[in-house]
Amino acid sequence: MSKTTAFSQRNLKELIRDPLSYLFCLGFPLVMLVVMTLVNNGIESSTADLPPGAVSAAPTIFQIDKLAGGIAVFGLTFLMLFTCLTVAKDRSGAFLMRLYATPMRSANFIAGYMLPTFVLGIIQIVITLAASLIIALIKDVELNVGGLVLSAAVLMPTVVMFIALGVLFGTMFSDKSAPGLCSIVISLASFLGGIWFDADSTGGFLKKLCDVLPFIHSVKAARLTCALDFENVLPHLLISTAYAALLTVISIIAFKSRMKADLQ
Amino acid sequence: MYAVQTKGLVKKYKTKTAVSGLDLAINEGEIYALLGVNGAGKTTTIRMLTCLSKPTDGECFVCGKNCVSQMSEVKKLTGISPQDTAVAENLTVTENLQFICGIYEFSAEKTAESVERLIKLFSLEEYKNSRAKTLSGGWKRKLSIAMAMIGEPRVLFLDEPTLGLDVLARRELWNIIEKLKSKITIILTTHYMEEAEKLSDRIGIMINGELKAEGTLSELEAQTGEQGLENAFVKIAEGGKE
Repeated sequence: MSKTTAFSQRNLKELIRDPLSYLFCLGFPLVMLVVMTLVNNGIESSTADLPPGAVSAAPTIFQIDKLAGGIAVFGLTFLMLFTCLTVAKDRSGAFLMRLYATPMRSANFIAGYMLPTFVLGIIQIVITLAASLIIALIKDVELNVGGLVLSAAVLMPTVVMFIALGVLFGTMFSDKSAPGLCSIVISLASFLGGIWFDADSTGGFLKKLCDVLPFIHSVKAARLTCALDFENVLPHLLISTAYAALLTVISIIAFKSRMKADLQ
Repeated sequence: MYAVQTKGLVKKYKTKTAVSGLDLAINEGEIYALLGVNGAGKTTTIRMLTCLSKPTDGECFVCGKNCVSQMSEVKKLTGISPQDTAVAENLTVTENLQFICGIYEFSAEKTAESVERLIKLFSLEEYKNSRAKTLSGGWKRKLSIAMAMIGEPRVLFLDEPTLGLDVLARRELWNIIEKLKSKITIILTTHYMEEAEKLSDRIGIMINGELKAEGTLSELEAQTGEQGLENAFVKIAEGGKE
């Protein structure tokens, strides 16, 4: 067994044996999927009696074909939280120190933290999208299975991006302060990612801020792929991939620097 | 060749000197106790000898290998049980041991053999399938030392191994450490005089980063003119040697 495999297995076991990881990584996104579908039902029924020609206020963003990609991204934000907690907790005790004294190198640590959470990320996306498909069938909304499968693939850079953010925050902050910071990023990602409102209908600074940050591009890439609108996917996919690559490099540098500082 | 040797070892943190000109020579198979009050430099010394900290000046060697220039070799020769128990809390006792076997890239056969041997040596059979977080302090400490021994180290560093343990758990751990005597070189730091007296072949007393006295219990008693390690330690710590 390689050092990276051994460390990955340990981290995977630590994650899957923490009941909170099920609650937040799987339970919460599924609950939001159901709740937002119910909200959409309510809005649809409240606008059904409008006279012909009246402007419908129904925000179709909560319809399952739009919601699926958004909730998949929302769920991944919790992956960041748990990656962050694993790294920060290891640092706060003497566990990392013990491992520093073994033949493990920084690459083993980083890969060992990222690989198991990547696997969990894939499982999380598959479950979220599968649940979306079931809701679509119940609600009789058209949702292409091929589009869902491809949108899962399109979300891979986003999985990497949130894991890299988790490693970065866990490296830079203590296990006391890191969760608070992650909560801010989770709120920002869901708000500025246009998961709960149509960011394109806004303007000015808010729209610019949404466009500069990666979250909305991850959501749009997933939504457009879901809708089989491949022509417009590429720019969003490129931006989310670029952010994933950049944040991965930054998190590796940060972890290596921290390790070097710890060993001074 | 000494199991552990330091030559004029110095460690400075900005304005504070944690270890100052430390010269140690510890023989193979010896149990060597480092005594000192808090902040005396014991843990810093262990950190340098286990490649967890770079010396500011001087040199340190484990089994003739330089702790700075031959770090990889030194890491294969040493094991450390830190002050905190440092175990994976959600893994079982067996899984913790298997995990460290994986870090040393043992084969499946060697992993099974090592885990079984250490579980037996540390009497962990009853708890082998229990998660580490459910263990008491004493059992966790045993697991921590067992994890330090997975890599079959020639030199084992135990940083305050019985800190916070009750009398029974401490005695049990002493028995295990005594079993290891002469098979492996052990350097332990402790605040407990009784522990140093009971376990160690030689004792080093560090005060403010310096090795103020060293020797067997009777040698330290002779140096200070006091009876018992505690009295000898207090006299040395207060600056009086005959």
